[in-house]
Amino acid sequence: MDGKVQLQKQLFDYTASLFQEGFLDNQFNQLEQLQDESNPDFVVEVVTLFFDDAERILNELTTSLGQEKIDFKRLDAHVHQLKGSSSSIGAQRVHEACIPFRNFCTEQNVEGCLKSLQQVKHEYSLVKSKLETLFKMEEELLASSLADLKVV
Amino acid sequence: MELGLDNSKLQLQPQNLKQEQKLLQQQEQHFHVLAVDDSVIDRKLLERLFRGSSCKVTCVDSGDKALKYLGLNNIDEQLDNNFSSTKSILESSSPDSPPLTPNPLQLKEGISKVNLIMTDYCMPGMSGYDLLKRVKGSYWKDVPVVIMSSENVPSRISMCLEEGAEEFLLKPLQLSDLQKLQPYFLKSLDNSSDEQESANSSTSTTDFDDDDLIDNNNSISKRKAMSPESLEISRPKMKGLARGIKSSCILLISLIMIMFLIMVFS
Repeated sequence: MDGKVQLQKQLFDYTASLFQEGFLDNQFNQLEQLQDESNPDFVVEVVTLFFDDAERILNELTTSLGQEKIDFKRLDAHVHQLKGSSSSIGAQRVHEACIPFRNFCTEQNVEGCLKSLQQVKHEYSLVKSKLETLFKMEEELLASSLADLKVV
Repeated sequence: MELGLDNSKLQLQPQNLKQEQKLLQQQEQHFHVLAVDDSVIDRKLLERLFRGSSCKVTCVDSGDKALKYLGLNNIDEQLDNNFSSTKSILESSSPDSPPLTPNPLQLKEGISKVNLIMTDYCMPGMSGYDLLKRVKGSYWKDVPVVIMSSENVPSRISMCLEEGAEEFLLKPLQLSDLQKLQPYFLKSLDNSSDEQESANSSTSTTDFDDDDLIDNNNSISKRKAMSPESLEISRPKMKGLARGIKSSCILLISLIMIMFLIMVFS
């Protein structure tokens, strides 16, 4: 039982830190509220969709910026997509990193775009690893709860 | 005697409420939302939000697919055909003109009636605004259309509301936004109850309309972006207001007639 309580506390503290450090915002709370008995894996499902979508977009952005003639309109459209999807799951830092990126696209500033892409990639990899850690902790807690039930 | 009457009134009220709740549940279960968004994440979110309210949800990823679903995808071809045939008809000076909107019977079988269209504004290809225009100029013109956007652009909002959008919501959508859409669930209930019930129940439907108006007025809140021409926001509400006034007038006229009859017969 102590192990479970400790896990609960760890999970609580970790989640709180993600909000405090700005990795997650209120929209993530909204996702958690939408998770219930009928939709027990809703958060993981949506976040997984985000990971797949974000990686696809980041690859496209890398390819686009590597070309001789850069299509800034197309670039901006992709950044807009990423900005939207990160906002929808509450990945605040990724969302914020997309804002200057869009400005550089409008200005057709290649160097600015390249720097922004690096920043977005950095924020994305951070939030991805944080969320994966969070989900792992939740799994451990669930496993511990099930183990308790079996003992009883 | 008075007490007896009051008791019977009190007994009727909870029954009416239960009936209304039951109808609302039944209506919500059949309430069909067409969600249009190019983002897979946002489609998932919309689906969860509406399915959680016992609504049926159909998701499509583009305006073109939405038109196809509504049976409007061949409208351009139809228009071309209609214009050429209209032209030839005019030349032969015939009074008849072919219809420009698809006949409901021509709609694909198996498509259940759509009660609400939720569409993203910014989409590749056809935008939410273009979709709105097409819908409002078609057989589906009375279906409420709600536009969603991640960008708070007042001119964009005014433009959509003027074109007939019922609401303009900022993304990402939240549970509280769903509450704002409750009046549309009730309106569709209102329409079905008008068909089924007699004039005696018009009091309850009038109350719904009045509450809807109050809710709609209060819902112009922080989450819904404020536009400088905020008066324009009230324009689409005029339809609901007119309906409310119409019901109130009917009630007033019936009351006056009843009083007149009482006076005549007393």
